[in-house]
Amino acid sequence: MPDTPDSRLPEFEREALPHLDALLGLALRFTGGDEARSEDLVQEAFLKAWRSWKSFEAGTNCRAWLMTILRNTFINQFRRGRSRGSDVEFDEIAERATDDDLFHADPEGLVLDRIVGEEIARAIEELPDEFRVPVVLADIEGLGYQEIAETLEIPVGTVKSRLFRARRRLQGRLYRHAVEMGYLG
Amino acid sequence: MSDKRGSGGGGRKPTDETTCEEALALVYEYLDGELEPERTDIVRRHLAQCRCCYPHFDFERMFLDYVRDVGGTPRSSPELRDRIRRILERESG
Repeated sequence: MPDTPDSRLPEFEREALPHLDALLGLALRFTGGDEARSEDLVQEAFLKAWRSWKSFEAGTNCRAWLMTILRNTFINQFRRGRSRGSDVEFDEIAERATDDDLFHADPEGLVLDRIVGEEIARAIEELPDEFRVPVVLADIEGLGYQEIAETLEIPVGTVKSRLFRARRRLQGRLYRHAVEMGYLG
Repeated sequence: MSDKRGSGGGGRKPTDETTCEEALALVYEYLDGELEPERTDIVRRHLAQCRCCYPHFDFERMFLDYVRDVGGTPRSSPELRDRIRRILERESG
């Protein structure tokens, strides 16, 4: 039977579509919870995946392959949009104010147990792009600093400082949430 | 150089090689496994001697575990699944 696109579609759907939910989850992290943009990203990733389905080797990790396509699709858009500028300078002031309050207020990390994953996810979503994307690449995708630097085309030193500041910001956000919820005195 | 954040902890004094402030500046590189071997040793030696930084590093490790646990939480969207199916069928038709 000739290897026409048609004949391969059921196979593609069977192999790739089960990963749609995972891809959408990752897309939502990348876009900071922008549902429409995330759905478009996933759609574009699936289209690219389908067009290069021939190059996918059966037996290798389809999910990881799709995740890489999604990440590259997002990163390309991210790089294009970056010239619009960011609020990085403002952030420096914001996180100096929060610093490591959460540790000093709760060194045992007991509050972290009470803060639900959703709240941490929301805190990640609310980070400005320049901070959120390195966090997603490092902590969710498991990339190393050098890999993040190459992916985002920024120096490794910038990756380090973005991650440092992003994580401090997250703690500041969670600290304020814990205070609001009455978890901290 | 003393640690300006020090607040009554006995371990806040600088140890032989590095201050608490310097050690804490490296906390994420250390926990991410991104620190070169010599500096990893320096941080380890500091942590072995400093009663304040050890719990702080422990806290940061726990915090990172929580962030990583959040992951890319899967999200179901039957509408998107149908839309992608339609587009794929059109593409391959």
